[in-house]
Amino acid sequence: MKAAGHRARGAKSPAAGGVAAPRRSLVWLQGLACGALATLATPLAALLAVLLLPGFLVLLIDRVPGKPVARAMLLCGAAASVAPARQLWDHGLSMDNSLDLIANMLVVSGAWAAAAAGWLLAELAPVVVLLVLEATTRRRLAELRGARARLAADWGLAAAEDDPGPG
Amino acid sequence: MADTPATGSAPPGLVAGQFRVDFMAPLRDAGGGVEAFAAHDERHSGAALMALRLGRFAPARERPITLLAGLNIPGLLLPLAHGVAALPDGTECGVVICQAPPGPALAAAPRAWSEAELMASVLKPAALALDALAARGLTHRALRPDNIFRAGPGEPVVLGAAWAAPPASHQNAVFEPPYVASCHPAGRGEGSIADDIYALGVTLLTLALGHPPLAGLDEGTVIQRKLDLGSYAALIGEARLPGLLSDLLRGMLAEDPAHRPPPQALLDPSAARSRRVAARPPRRAQRPLVIAGQSIWEARTLAHALFRHPEEGVRLVRSLHLDHWLRRSLGDAALTSRVDEVVRQRGEQPPDDRQADATMVLRLVALFDPLAPLAWRGLALWPDGLGPLLAVSLGEGGELASRLEEIIDSEAVAAWAQARAEHCAAPALRQSAQQQRLWLRRGGPSGGLARVCYALNPLLPCASPLLAGKVVVRLADLLPALEATAQQPERRQGLPLDAPIAAFIAARQDGRPGGERGGAASDGVEIESLRLLARLQEGFAAPPLPGLAAWLAEQMGPAIDTWNHRGRRAELAEHLRRLARTGQLPLLLALLDNPDTRAADAQGLKQARAALDRINSESARLAANARARRVLATTLGHEIALGIGMTALAASLGWMVLG
Repeated sequence: MKAAGHRARGAKSPAAGGVAAPRRSLVWLQGLACGALATLATPLAALLAVLLLPGFLVLLIDRVPGKPVARAMLLCGAAASVAPARQLWDHGLSMDNSLDLIANMLVVSGAWAAAAAGWLLAELAPVVVLLVLEATTRRRLAELRGARARLAADWGLAAAEDDPGPG
Repeated sequence: MADTPATGSAPPGLVAGQFRVDFMAPLRDAGGGVEAFAAHDERHSGAALMALRLGRFAPARERPITLLAGLNIPGLLLPLAHGVAALPDGTECGVVICQAPPGPALAAAPRAWSEAELMASVLKPAALALDALAARGLTHRALRPDNIFRAGPGEPVVLGAAWAAPPASHQNAVFEPPYVASCHPAGRGEGSIADDIYALGVTLLTLALGHPPLAGLDEGTVIQRKLDLGSYAALIGEARLPGLLSDLLRGMLAEDPAHRPPPQALLDPSAARSRRVAARPPRRAQRPLVIAGQSIWEARTLAHALFRHPEEGVRLVRSLHLDHWLRRSLGDAALTSRVDEVVRQRGEQPPDDRQADATMVLRLVALFDPLAPLAWRGLALWPDGLGPLLAVSLGEGGELASRLEEIIDSEAVAAWAQARAEHCAAPALRQSAQQQRLWLRRGGPSGGLARVCYALNPLLPCASPLLAGKVVVRLADLLPALEATAQQPERRQGLPLDAPIAAFIAARQDGRPGGERGGAASDGVEIESLRLLARLQEGFAAPPLPGLAAWLAEQMGPAIDTWNHRGRRAELAEHLRRLARTGQLPLLLALLDNPDTRAADAQGLKQARAALDRINSESARLAANARARRVLATTLGHEIALGIGMTALAASLGWMVLG
């Protein structure tokens, strides 16, 4: 038993080893890409950092596994950041141009509004799905109640136990 | 022999389709204790006839009525038919049609008869008639001066009718041997021809004296005096009789039936007087045993005292007084040994078992006097009188019925027969006692005391109040009577088959195919009733019975409710109503008692239960999955949000590249 316990403590758990390794490498690659971007295209990196700032902040505080809200905000923010990034690229990848765009409230507010829309979407979509699921469940329960009532009426079976409802 | 006609097949108002009864013309003193009315044969004119009206719970004697049919026995009023007659008030009664008396009864003009007249006019014709009865294994059991008739002076006498009441039930104790007289009037049984010889002897004595012997004494005193002194000494008393008559009476009034001369011997009185069978005098005790203030000197009187005071007998046994008296005073070692055995058998039962006490007294009485009848807790009867006594108890109920039930339930007849096996056919009695107990203990309405009663009384009409005054003796008449009742809607309460009818059917169907219940044990009383009546209609090919069918259909609610499918119930009720109009009970039975539809109904219920289980299971699962649904909704919602975000990003990138 003791040996087995040692073996259990010494063995790598799948979450810590086998499965986590690709995620760590992905994070490492993402960090490498970000580092490369910051080094090779610092103005673009600065512009994206400002435009995607709400998503990054939520990424830090989102405790839900997979951080779905932050990801939705980043995706929506990214969608809104494509145009400013293209504009920076077209006007020259300089720090001045980057600062001009950052200073442009229309650009920043547009990206942040997109992020906010992503947040709203991530919060509302589960509620809407839940409503749909509950409606489906209630309809099925009503069908079952009807069938049960018919059986009770036809065969005199004891009335079924009280329907607890969909919860 | 004309039998009871089936209702509807005989001309109305006629008994057995042949005899008309005039209830407005009563015949006084003609029926031997039974109400008699003038009757006429509608087919043949001839001898005067009379109809004897049967009591409600006094069945006619089936064997004599059956076996004497169509015979011509001189000196005897023969039964011609039995059946049901309508009374002027519209009700019915059972009647026995028989020949009317040719003249007044001998008791109508009391006088002292000469010996020669007695021999020629009374003894010989009576002996001839009794011999004819004995040859057929029958008895008369109603011989007394008021039931013996004569057309005129010098004419031979004619024995009156004795067929319309239980044997000897109208006999005075004077005219019966003490062992018969001590029985309940309805429980005296068919007896033997020797009992008729005894009654004939007392009749001869009465005519010779010109008045009845022991007149003015109550029955108990008459019996006790006969037991104390012997019948001959008790009846003759101080009277002086002619020698021939005296010798004849000594034999005819012998206590032991085996010592009395047979009817054949009485045809030659001179030879009969020389026939002497000496009876051994009873052993007399040195000191008396006192029971209820009466001094007992002999085993015979002890038996009678035990019968009259059974509790006192039990006390004497327990206190060992009886044992001491038997050993020290009576000194009968063989008898004492047999009594010891009876007391030992009683000791094997619980001390407070009253039935065991009664059985012990019954055995003791049989041991002390093997000629005595069956004695059970103060009730005496002969086993062949059990049937008529049961019929009386059907009307009286109460204590008599409960005692008879005890007698049957404890097989007292078998115990009695075993204790006096040398005087009776013990195996046959034991077998019949077992059969009666079987009937008594049979569950349901087809068993019980009523079943035994109807089985032992083939001519007893059904006592059900549902028949509304109709007299139903034969099974074939039951359905028409019920149909008549069904025509009165106010009488259609409950099922048309109550306990008396069920017992009546069961008793009358014994031995016939379909006589016992044939349905499933789970069938309710409604289906069982319908089955019984439907089988009767089939068995007797009865005409349609729409009233009875409608009555049954109305009462089939509980039977219909045994079907599981509610819709099918309504269909059945409607179908039943339609079928009832045909009056065919078998069709009703086929509808309600169809195994295939029953099986389909049961299968449907099984499937419905399975479906209900599935529904309940799914409902419970849906109710329990609320949390899982919320988790699923969150996951799906986030996936959708991501999908939209990725779509927006893809669209934006596509616009940048392409735009």
